[in-house]
Amino acid sequence: MTKLWLTVIWLLAFVPWQAQAELVIEITGGTEAALPIAIVPFGNTGFAPPEDISHVISNDLARSGRFAPLPQQDLISQPHEKAQINFQDWRLLRSEGLLVGKVDSIDGETYQVQFQLFDVYKAQQLVGKRYQVPASGLRRLAHQIADQVYQALTGEIGVFSTRLAFVTAIKNVDGTKRFALQVSDSDGANPRTVLQSKQPIMSPNWSPDGEQLTYVSFENGNAEVFVQEMTSGRRNSVAAFKGLNSAPSWSPDGKKLALTLSKAGNPEIYVLELATGRLARVTHNSQAIDTEAVWMPNGNELVFTSDRGGRPQIYKVPAIGGRAERLTFEGSYNASPDISPDGQMMTMVHVQNGKFYIAVQDLATGAVQVLTDTGRDESPSFAPNGRVILYATEQKGKGVLAAVSVDGRIHQRLGESGSEVREPAWSPIRK
Amino acid sequence: MKTSWIETIIAGSYALILHIILLALFVIGMESQTAPKFVAQPKVDIVQATVMDEAAILQEVAKQQQLEDEKRRLEQERQQEIDKKLADTQQELARKEQEFLDQQQRAELEQKQLELEQQQQQEKIAKLEQERKLQEQKTREAEQQRKLEEEKKRQAEQQRKQEEEKKQQAEQQRLIEEERRQKAEQQRKVEEQRALEAEQARKLEEEKKQKAEQERRAEEEKRKLAEADRKAEEQRKAEAEKARKLEEEKKRQAEEDRKAEEKRKAEQERKAKIAEADRLLQESLAAEQQEQEERRVAGVVDQYSLMIKQRVKRYWIRPSSAETGLQATLRVSLLPGGDVKQVTVIKSSGNSVFDRSAESAVYKAAPLPQPTDPKAAAALRDFQFIFKPE
Repeated sequence: MTKLWLTVIWLLAFVPWQAQAELVIEITGGTEAALPIAIVPFGNTGFAPPEDISHVISNDLARSGRFAPLPQQDLISQPHEKAQINFQDWRLLRSEGLLVGKVDSIDGETYQVQFQLFDVYKAQQLVGKRYQVPASGLRRLAHQIADQVYQALTGEIGVFSTRLAFVTAIKNVDGTKRFALQVSDSDGANPRTVLQSKQPIMSPNWSPDGEQLTYVSFENGNAEVFVQEMTSGRRNSVAAFKGLNSAPSWSPDGKKLALTLSKAGNPEIYVLELATGRLARVTHNSQAIDTEAVWMPNGNELVFTSDRGGRPQIYKVPAIGGRAERLTFEGSYNASPDISPDGQMMTMVHVQNGKFYIAVQDLATGAVQVLTDTGRDESPSFAPNGRVILYATEQKGKGVLAAVSVDGRIHQRLGESGSEVREPAWSPIRK
Repeated sequence: MKTSWIETIIAGSYALILHIILLALFVIGMESQTAPKFVAQPKVDIVQATVMDEAAILQEVAKQQQLEDEKRRLEQERQQEIDKKLADTQQELARKEQEFLDQQQRAELEQKQLELEQQQQQEKIAKLEQERKLQEQKTREAEQQRKLEEEKKRQAEQQRKQEEEKKQQAEQQRLIEEERRQKAEQQRKVEEQRALEAEQARKLEEEKKQKAEQERRAEEEKRKLAEADRKAEEQRKAEAEKARKLEEEKKRQAEEDRKAEEKRKAEQERKAKIAEADRLLQESLAAEQQEQEERRVAGVVDQYSLMIKQRVKRYWIRPSSAETGLQATLRVSLLPGGDVKQVTVIKSSGNSVFDRSAESAVYKAAPLPQPTDPKAAAALRDFQFIFKPE
């Protein structure tokens, strides 16, 4: 009887609570699959644009590995603005985003471009903008729109409108090589030559504002560091000391360069103040090579490669000089570091079994993850959003550009030209 | 003459009688001489003696010897007595013969008288002869009688002796008997004593019994009295009882009434309780049923929750920028059939892209699996999703 009562009481106590309680379903994990997105070809009135904007956007998003644009033939209608969209139809396609837009020109010189990104399920516009650009700016605008779509749907900064700097070596018929410093769109397209030389060009590096490049050129018979303005093409030699002048790296504030100089007999790290030309030596280790210095985002420390321990390993040292701290302990060879924009990750060349791979190391934990598998990878460089690492590798005996997401899941090939490509550098995001 | 004759006859008769007496005495004496002497022979009944001890036997033998001696002595005395008597008798006889001879002289005198008389009395004599003969006959008969008597006497003597013998034997027997008797007596006495004791006991018992009886009677009497008293008391009590009973009956009646009332109430209560218990049972059953139903529904809901979860999870494309620790809570309302009526972010992750990815996941997953069971479906009409990267 007591038991019965207890049951009754328990039930009475339980029932209202249960009635109020709402079922909760917890979902963890999910996939990081490519996000389906419907990109409707932009409508056009007047002059036809020289660039297929929607195609560029679609390619950008697809190449990132983060999006899965619907095939053109699957698009059930061709709306260009909200009023024309029947969201129910698009929901059936299960695309989360729907991008529509228009490109209009009345004179074929100036184009008015507008785009709208919709959340298909909520029938809401996520982002929408209108631009006026010259015909030459259409491609770049397309990258910018892709960046916005990317950011709207992934929450990350898009880097489609950034540029890549890299060095190409073209073999002449006479067997000599022609070196070129080139800058391209982030997709490797639209390459422009910044500098040509019969002598090797090395180690391009972008100024933080993306307006200048620094690089090493052997054009004068010796390794010499130059700084070149992108828009004007004006260039200055900033380091032409006796011996080796190499591996320039722009400080985050854009006022200094970290360099490797052997003017004192042994390659050491120096910091050059660009405005004054004042040079400060950072490392003092005559027994070892110290090189490939890059800045920590805080601008106070440098990370560099040194064989002071017998084998090349990566160290960290205060930019004003001081005691160097070894960062890499995994593997017998770690070199060519680059630091992610948030300062948390480091990418480097990591040797395993005599092969060269791109790896990332969590600076907080020291955990190393190898991201690539070709075995002939070099010169890793973080994308300005820190999500992708650009690097050079070899394919069929030729150097090519490649990119990998920091989690190693998404791999891309870039700029598959006939030339040999080396030492890529990803530009910062243009402000 | 006649007198002489008679006298002669009388004298002759006397002589005859004397002769007869003498003869008789002689015969007696002869008999006494020739009579076998009884010699008491010690007779010991061995069979009888088995129970005796040697001393007793010897004693007995001595006794017997003594007895025998005594007998012999007595016999001798008796013989002497007889001899004396015989001498006396012979003396008497001599005397009598003298007398007789005197008489014969007188008789011869008388004979002559008698013979004188004889002729006178010839007839008388004949007559007397006849008489005599008759007398003789009578005497003979008497003699015969006497002889018979004698014989009888002898026989009696013999008898006596035999008797004596017998007596002795009897005596012996008697002694043995006596002994036996004594023993028996003793036994008897013991028996008697016992009997006496028994008797005494019996008497005591009897007495006791009597006493008891008396007591019993007294008791009985008392009892009867008491009984009478009791009866009287009982009567009185009965009266009182009757009164009491009446009272009690009244009370009982009242009590009964009260009890009936109580019982009725109790019954009512019991029924109420049963009804209550029944109701509770029903409720409990209902609750149980409800619980069971709820459990069943919960089971279905669980099952469909899992299906929904898996479906939504499959459609959820988590932004790779989603850091661990993000968490968005959505409330979802479904239309019958599982289509999404409304999705609301009730607790943002702080990352709009993450929130939207969750919302989109729900929409994309639609129509969500819906159970046909209306209760379970109802439970799955409105619910919450928590989205977490890990």
